[in-house]
Amino acid sequence: MQSILAVDDSASMRQMVSFTLKGAGYNVIEAADGQEALEKARAQQVDLVLTDQNMPRMDGITLVRQLRAMHAFAATPMLILTTESSDEMKAKGKAAGATGWLVKPFDPAKLLDVVKRVIK
Amino acid sequence: MENFDEHDAATMRRAALECEAIAADLERLKAMIADAADRLTASFNVVGALESRAVRGKAEQDRLAGALSNAVTALQFQDMANQLTAHAQRRLGSLREALTKLSDGVDPLLATTTRLQPVRQAGMGAGSIDLF
Repeated sequence: MQSILAVDDSASMRQMVSFTLKGAGYNVIEAADGQEALEKARAQQVDLVLTDQNMPRMDGITLVRQLRAMHAFAATPMLILTTESSDEMKAKGKAAGATGWLVKPFDPAKLLDVVKRVIK
Repeated sequence: MENFDEHDAATMRRAALECEAIAADLERLKAMIADAADRLTASFNVVGALESRAVRGKAEQDRLAGALSNAVTALQFQDMANQLTAHAQRRLGSLREALTKLSDGVDPLLATTTRLQPVRQAGMGAGSIDLF
């Protein structure tokens, strides 16, 4: 079973993401911010990272940048799921190494379609 | 500070207090939204768990799956509402600080904004997707 690290400081968002991904057969590991996600990623390899941008302690772009610097996550797809929709923020995400940028709210079928396209 | 009298200072102090009251209302609104979202999510989870167990025809199954999918999108409102209210509270805080300084006769040099608005969506339709 493929594992996805879902990162969001909103508990309701984590629940919606988990419900969607688990329903499609993925194993979901949850983290409440970038720092917690980084600690979980150090302990366990995952097949995809889906992260929010604006979070306490560590934001999504910083998380992506830090994970990309780790050998184990050099090729792991990383998607940013956020309310932020400006081109400036998207460019920052791309520069940090994100695979894609999804603006909230997400549609479950479209999220699953993107996940299937990028996950290896 | 030219043409600035005690009456103006009192008006600004009242305006600063109004900012504080509005920020407190926003905090209550956030709490109410969080409570509503928790209750809705709990109900959603019950329906979601029952979905796979119920025996139905395909049309009914598709209808339920569609309704759950729409609910997943709609239930993301709390996160967006939270970010919007938090941003409004930050701006109100800056305004209150500036008004208080003005009432003390100090030019506050009000910053344009603390940061850009993080939520530009006006509804709960699904957002865009960009793959790099």
